[in-house]
Amino acid sequence: MRANIQPRKRSSYRLRENMQLYLIMLPVLIHIFIFSYIPMYGIIIAFQDYYPGKPFFSFHESVHWVGFQHFIDFFNGPYFGRLMRNTFLLSFYFLVFGFWIPILFALLLNELKSGIFKKYVQTASYLPHFISNVVVAGMVLSFINTDGIVNAIVKLFGGTPVALNTEPGYFPAIYTITSIWKSFGWSSILYLAAMSSVDPHLYEAAKMDGANRFKQMLHITLPSIRPTIFILLIFAIGNLLSANSEFILLIYNPMVYETADVIGTYLYRDGLLGGNFSMGTAVGLFISVINFTLLYIANSLSRKYSDYALW
Amino acid sequence: MATVRRNPNRIKQGSVAVDIILYAIALVICLITLYPFYFVIIMSISSPSEVAAMNVFWFPKGFFLGSYELIVRDTKMWWAYSNTLIYVGAGTLLNCLTAVLGAYPLTVRNLKGRKWVVTFLLIPMYFGGGLIPSYLLINKLGMYNTMFAVIIPGMVSIWNIILVRTFFTTIPEGLKESAFIDGASHLQLLFRVILPISKPILAVIAIYSIVGIWNSWFDALVYLPNEKLHPLQMYLYRVVVQQSVDLKMLSLEDTKNAVANMLSNIQLKYAIIVFTTLPVIFTYPFFQKYFIKGALLGSLKE
Repeated sequence: MRANIQPRKRSSYRLRENMQLYLIMLPVLIHIFIFSYIPMYGIIIAFQDYYPGKPFFSFHESVHWVGFQHFIDFFNGPYFGRLMRNTFLLSFYFLVFGFWIPILFALLLNELKSGIFKKYVQTASYLPHFISNVVVAGMVLSFINTDGIVNAIVKLFGGTPVALNTEPGYFPAIYTITSIWKSFGWSSILYLAAMSSVDPHLYEAAKMDGANRFKQMLHITLPSIRPTIFILLIFAIGNLLSANSEFILLIYNPMVYETADVIGTYLYRDGLLGGNFSMGTAVGLFISVINFTLLYIANSLSRKYSDYALW
Repeated sequence: MATVRRNPNRIKQGSVAVDIILYAIALVICLITLYPFYFVIIMSISSPSEVAAMNVFWFPKGFFLGSYELIVRDTKMWWAYSNTLIYVGAGTLLNCLTAVLGAYPLTVRNLKGRKWVVTFLLIPMYFGGGLIPSYLLINKLGMYNTMFAVIIPGMVSIWNIILVRTFFTTIPEGLKESAFIDGASHLQLLFRVILPISKPILAVIAIYSIVGIWNSWFDALVYLPNEKLHPLQMYLYRVVVQQSVDLKMLSLEDTKNAVANMLSNIQLKYAIIVFTTLPVIFTYPFFQKYFIKGALLGSLKE
C-alpha cells in the first residue's frame, strides 16, 4: 500500500519543493543577473562607438562597430606606457616590501609569551584596516604637506622642507608605506590562525631534541604557514596590475600623475568623467584579462612546484 | 613547580634577552601603528597657536575644544551622518536577508540544478563588467543621483551567500527533518528553526556590512552628484581631500566668536576626522572577534 502511493506523491512533492526553493532564491538570482551579468554583457560597448543616447548595449543597426580600435588607440596613446609602468610598479613595490611584513609580524606575535600583551598588539595592528580610506588619505595628505608633521621632523633635524605632495619622485614611497601601514596587521591573521593549529607536542619534541627557539620557528612554525604563504602569494601576483586605484584617487594630484596615475584612476578620469565610455570599457576589459591571466599563470606555477593551488 | 620546570629551559636558550628584544620590537610596531591617530587627536585639542607653530609631537600643548564646538554645529556634517545611518541600516538588513535567502536553497541536497546555480554565483566573483557598464546600467535604471544607487547594487554579496551556506551545512540534518515531520514548509523551517540558531554567522555578516558601508565613498562619488545625498565619508572627502568645503566658513556665521577665527584649517580637519572616526575606534575592539571569525571563515573557501 505504502509502496504504491509514495513514488507518485513524492515526485509531485519534489516539484513543489523545488519550486518553493527557487522562489526563495529568486530575488537574489534576479539581482545578480541584473547587477553582475548585464554589466558583463555591457562590455560589448568596448567594441563600439558608444555614447549616451545611443541604443543601450544593443545590436541595433545604428550601433557603430569599431572592432579593436579602442584597444589600439589606447596602446598607441600618449599615456599607455606611463599607466602600465605606474600600475605595475605601485603593485610591485607593495608586493616586494609589503608581502613579508605580515609573515614576520605573525612570527613575532607567535613568540610573545604574554597573552594579554599579544592581544593588545594585535588589536592595535588591526585598527588601520578598519579606518576608512578617506580618513587615512586625509591624514596622509596633511602629514606630507609642506607645513605637515613630516616636514616638521625634517626641520627638527636641520633639513630643508621637501614638497612631498607635489614632487612625483616621492609618490611611490608614500603610497607603499601607507598601504603597508594600513594592511600589515590584518594580513597577519591567516598566518596566525595557521600557527595556532600547530600541535604543541611538536614543539615539546623539538625541545627534547635540543632545538632552540629560532630553530623551532624555522622548522615547525614556518612550515606550518607555508601553504598560507603560497596561496597569498598567488593572490598577490594575480593582483600585480591592480594597484589600489580607489586609494590612489584620494592621495594623488595632477602634479604627481607622472608616477601616480594608474589604469584605474585613468579609467575613472578619462572614461567616466571624460565621457569616453567605450574607451574606458576597453581599458577595463584589457586590465581584467591581464589580471586573470596573471592569476592563472601564478596558480599553475604554484601547483606545479608546490602542490598548493586555488583550483 | 612550574617555575622550576620553566626556568632552566629559558636560561639554557638565552630566552630572557630574546624576549626583551621581541617585546621591544612589538612595542615599536604598536607605536608606529597608533601614533598617526594619536597625533591627530592631540593636534585637534591643543591650543591653536601651538598647532600653527607645529609644536605638538608627544603631548597636547594647551587645551582647546573650540574646533569641536564648531564642528558639532556643522549642519552639513550631521546631514551626512544621518544619510550614512540610512545607508548602513538599509544595506546591512538587505545584505543579511539576501545572504540567507540565497544560501538556504543551496543547502538542500535534492534541489534540481543546484550546480548551475552555484556556477551562476561563482562567475561574477572572477569576472565583472567594470565601472563604466555598471555606471550606464545604473543610469538606465533611473537610479542615478538617488539613494538607491548606493543601496541596491550592493545589497547582494555573493561572498556572504557562500559564508552563510557554509554555516548552514553544519546544522544537523535531524533538526530539519523533525521540522518537516511537523509539516513545516521550507520557508517556515528557514525563519522559525534555522535563523534563530544562525545568529553567529549573521553577526559576522552584519558587522562586515556595517563597517564596509560606513567606510565606503566611491559609489557616492560616482553616482551621487547631489550633495544632500552624500554619506559621511563623501562629506569628509570634500573637506579633507578635495578641500572644496571650508570649515572656517562655519565661524563666519558668528564673527563675534573671536576664538573661532583663530582656528587653523588643519585643526578643524583633524577635529572632524576624530569626531567621525571615534565611533569606529571605540566599537571595533568589541567586534574584533566577529571580524576575525569572518576572515577565517572566508579563507576556508579560498
